[in-house]
Amino acid sequence: MASKFGLAGGIPERRVRPIWDAIDSRQFKNALKQSTSLLSKYPNSPYALALKALILERMGKNEEALSICLNAKEILLTKDSSNVIDDLTLSTLQIVFQRLDHLDMATSCYEFACSKYPNNLELMMGLFNCYIAIKMYKIAGEERFLMWAVCSIQLQVCCSDGGEKLFHLAEGLLKKHIASHSLHEPEALSVYITLLEQQSKYGNALEVLNGPLGSLMMIEVDKLRLQGKLLAMVRDYGPAAECFQKVLELCPDDWECFLQYLGCLLEDESMFTNTTDPHPVSLAECNSFHVEAEVFDARISSAVNFVQKLIAIGNNNSLRCPYLANLEIERRKILCGKEKNVILKKLEKELEFSGSVSTKALGQSINVLKIQNLIGDMFTLPVNEVEDLAVRMTQMFCQSLPLSKELDVQDSMYGEELLSMACDVLVQLFWRTRNLGYLLESILILEFGLTIRRYIWQYKLLLVHLYSHWNTLPLAYERYKSLDVKNILLETISHHILPQMLASPMWADLNDLLSEYVKFMDDHFRESADLTFLAYRHRNYSKVIEFVQFKERLQCSNQYLMAKIEAPILQLKQNSNNIDEVESILESSKFGTHFLELSNEIRSKPLIFNEDLKLRPWWTPTYDKNYLLEAFEGASYCPRANLYNQIKQTEENILKLIEKRSILPRMVYLSIHSASASVKKNVGANGSVDPKLSVELKVLLERHAKILEFPFMDAVELVSGVSSRQKFFEEPNSDIIDWMNFCIFLNAWNLDSHELMLTDRSDPGSDGWRIVNSLLGKSIKEKIKSAGEVVSSPGDTLPFLVRLITEPLSWHGLIIQSCVRSLVPTGKKKKKGGATEQSNSQISYVLQDSIQSLCDTIQIVLNWLKEQLEKPEDENFEAIFSTIRKQNNNGPGKVFQVLESSLSLMKDVDLGDRILESLNSWNPADVPRKIISGQRGLLSEFLRICELKIKSLQELSVHL
Amino acid sequence: MVCIRKATVDDLLAMQACNLFCLPENYQMKYYFYHILSWPQLLYVAEDYNGKIVGYVLAKMEEESSECHGHITSLAVLRTHRKLGLATKLMTAAQNAMEQVYGAEYVSLHVRKSNRAAFNLYTETLEYKIHDVEAKYYADGEDAYDMRKQLKGKKQQPHHHHHHHHHHHGGGCCSAEMKAEEKPETAATKTN
Repeated sequence: MASKFGLAGGIPERRVRPIWDAIDSRQFKNALKQSTSLLSKYPNSPYALALKALILERMGKNEEALSICLNAKEILLTKDSSNVIDDLTLSTLQIVFQRLDHLDMATSCYEFACSKYPNNLELMMGLFNCYIAIKMYKIAGEERFLMWAVCSIQLQVCCSDGGEKLFHLAEGLLKKHIASHSLHEPEALSVYITLLEQQSKYGNALEVLNGPLGSLMMIEVDKLRLQGKLLAMVRDYGPAAECFQKVLELCPDDWECFLQYLGCLLEDESMFTNTTDPHPVSLAECNSFHVEAEVFDARISSAVNFVQKLIAIGNNNSLRCPYLANLEIERRKILCGKEKNVILKKLEKELEFSGSVSTKALGQSINVLKIQNLIGDMFTLPVNEVEDLAVRMTQMFCQSLPLSKELDVQDSMYGEELLSMACDVLVQLFWRTRNLGYLLESILILEFGLTIRRYIWQYKLLLVHLYSHWNTLPLAYERYKSLDVKNILLETISHHILPQMLASPMWADLNDLLSEYVKFMDDHFRESADLTFLAYRHRNYSKVIEFVQFKERLQCSNQYLMAKIEAPILQLKQNSNNIDEVESILESSKFGTHFLELSNEIRSKPLIFNEDLKLRPWWTPTYDKNYLLEAFEGASYCPRANLYNQIKQTEENILKLIEKRSILPRMVYLSIHSASASVKKNVGANGSVDPKLSVELKVLLERHAKILEFPFMDAVELVSGVSSRQKFFEEPNSDIIDWMNFCIFLNAWNLDSHELMLTDRSDPGSDGWRIVNSLLGKSIKEKIKSAGEVVSSPGDTLPFLVRLITEPLSWHGLIIQSCVRSLVPTGKKKKKGGATEQSNSQISYVLQDSIQSLCDTIQIVLNWLKEQLEKPEDENFEAIFSTIRKQNNNGPGKVFQVLESSLSLMKDVDLGDRILESLNSWNPADVPRKIISGQRGLLSEFLRICELKIKSLQELSVHL
Repeated sequence: MVCIRKATVDDLLAMQACNLFCLPENYQMKYYFYHILSWPQLLYVAEDYNGKIVGYVLAKMEEESSECHGHITSLAVLRTHRKLGLATKLMTAAQNAMEQVYGAEYVSLHVRKSNRAAFNLYTETLEYKIHDVEAKYYADGEDAYDMRKQLKGKKQQPHHHHHHHHHHHGGGCCSAEMKAEEKPETAATKTN
């Protein structure tokens, strides 16, 4: 009998197992030796070959691995139909192919296998894995293979649309197996129950759990919890509550269980419908009770009794749940009762009496301030009261420094939160008064905090945003890097810096960020087949499902898609002075079509937002929103209250943004092509022009117009009339960039197609070129006119100018380069004579004119940058630092003063060596100096880009 | 109130964020996956009132000689949530599962010699004993205590026994693991 079972890829499993064990324990040499001897016995077994390939790949011998894999694939695909193609072989091959970045080959193996078994189509092609597993199950009769099959079905249903019917199939398979063999693994039971739950068959699931199979659950409380949950799902609340009660008797500190217990007593359905969020009812949703008042009282009092009992029998002094349970019960009783302000007043009164400096008093004060922040709505307080709060918080922080004297540098200090809160308040003051001093103070206190302890990540995150807003991106990036963000945090945390970097001239750093992130994600996807297999082999079927869903979650990440699109756009920007380079970059992404495909793909699957937005500061709750760029609209307006809508809005915006960015490379390519085709036509050169490309560019222009929420012709109308109207320039900055792109690509398309008469209404002799030139020039002039000194004008003017120069203007430059190249082919001498020459010189004139206009435009920016950079550092320093050093009573400076005075009082206090040393190294003047030098770094980098651009344009014009 | 529950794969996002707030650990992400996909019963998280993960324990099963035993790979509790007994609860949950699910006879762990707080937790509260000292165990050259705690050694429930067609193909109680990655560059276990 034994010979019938346990075949792996047609080889007895006992022969294969030691090899897998060796692989698992990373003894690759040993594994290789054994695999070689296995191959001598089964020289043509695809499975044995696949195993060897797997080992070689692990040893880093990729080429050998690939060639063996190909060999295995060959045998697999050509052998006669009597050869069994099994899942083990296929999945082993898949792992190796995938790790070698040849997923296509793995897929072709699967495809072949599918075509080989057309009679089993009732299970569908997509279920091939499952089919194979079922086949193996039939051959071997092992529970494991059955679970593989069931898991495959669950994955099929969970990760693609519809197919719920397939659950019946899985359930049927399991039932049949149970009837003949029963179940023997705890995980198998868990899969079975999940399967029933997925079909809402909670009653059946209960039966299974209460039946003999229930004994497979090894941990008693786990079983009780599950029973309770299932009972609650069928609204059998009484017995459910009993189950949870039993759990609490065994684990009195299980808070979640207590909430479920209470939920059952009060027959609160919401407790169980949303399984991912088993958290107690909030103030907002508590208005309706689920049971009658009398019943409520009775049930609550039974809960009180039970909790008392728990406290009585609890001999463990670290027990917290029962005590907090009393509070929760009280909370439920008064849920809709008391006024929050009354509570606050009471708390504040308490605070007044606790004047002493102790950790407990400090903790109390912090909690009161937090509650005030939470329910007191600081945005409605008058400016001077808000300022007093900031002063108090800063003072309290300084005064509590002695409490932390014994602490290690790694430990959190007491009162760390005070400075974060004070920063929040100061930024609010900056928003309301537009007084730069408050912004400086907010940075100053955080830098002070980091001087004392350099590990406080909350301060660092706040600084990342404050520096970004003040156009001091190099400092923001430095602070971000010190957070040591890696692994999955790249997915959840990098939104703090990435969007700002995308609009910056810090290309090398941006490139690092993007490539590190994409590499991490790709590595994970490559390894995930391997990891799925690991879970299968450990028979952790429920984890297989979780893991695959997690992988899906990452694969549909909006940031991942964005990074994949932005990385090549960055390359295009970096090389935009050299059309040949740009063309080879475009070639490597299938001339931009690759991204079109990507963006089409996302339409079929919803994008996932894995970013952890909770850690963002209040003024920029999402990465496309910054309240500081807008005017403060008075006391009725509180950003925090709008958070949910803001997140929804961002998710919509991101979809649009991704679409916009994904068509960009293709539009650049088509525009270059169109420009050169138009010149070639004109000079009578015989270049083959593909009319399809022109049509495609038009389709994309229409799509672009649609993203801007305009019909195509209206959009054309708008850009043609723009010099005579102002509205266009009042758009938000990001929209202007989009319009600029539209205009530039429109001109390129029309050069070749001549479909439109592009004329500026206020300039009758003009054409597409002139419109583009005047638009670019105008928007830059407008911006620079309204831009203040960089040092004292935080905001988005600088990023806007950077984007304008490095994107639309650069794309336009490429179109000009393309024309010039077609007009003056390298190595050829200019032809002389006749109509061609005349036409040539006309084009040449237009191009000269455009080049000159572009240079003039860039020169404006260049002059402005030089002006900023030439300002003496001391003057800049004074401009900033004086904002907090003035002696009058109004405006910022109070927090700074209190910081200084508290520190001078600290001179005689014992703070411990470490803190004392840090205090001695603190010099507030360093902060503005660093800001200035950070800004200079950014400006210089931008200056360099502008200079290179002018230089390359001037060189171009020499050719004409 | 914080509750202790079994980890899910999705918790990984928050577990790694936990590392941002504690000391940075240099475990690769796949190492977490390796644990949760191999011994999902041994990973527990501490979740606070708002659903935030504030601590976790990462553990695995090992087989040296014939004694099946568990090993605590990593224990972390956010500094904001120390002194609440969370580390003890996380450890107890993992130890119980080792014993009940896998029939582990003892559980081992490594701790930095200098980490007094963690050492006290292990010796006093959790009753671990020093088994050995591993010289220069950590990348920075610090020694580690190899500590052990005897479990009741309850034999594994015979859910595999009466079953003729089963193969313990890497999946049963124990399986060897990625030794090379066991040591992160910083502390292997940390807690106060």
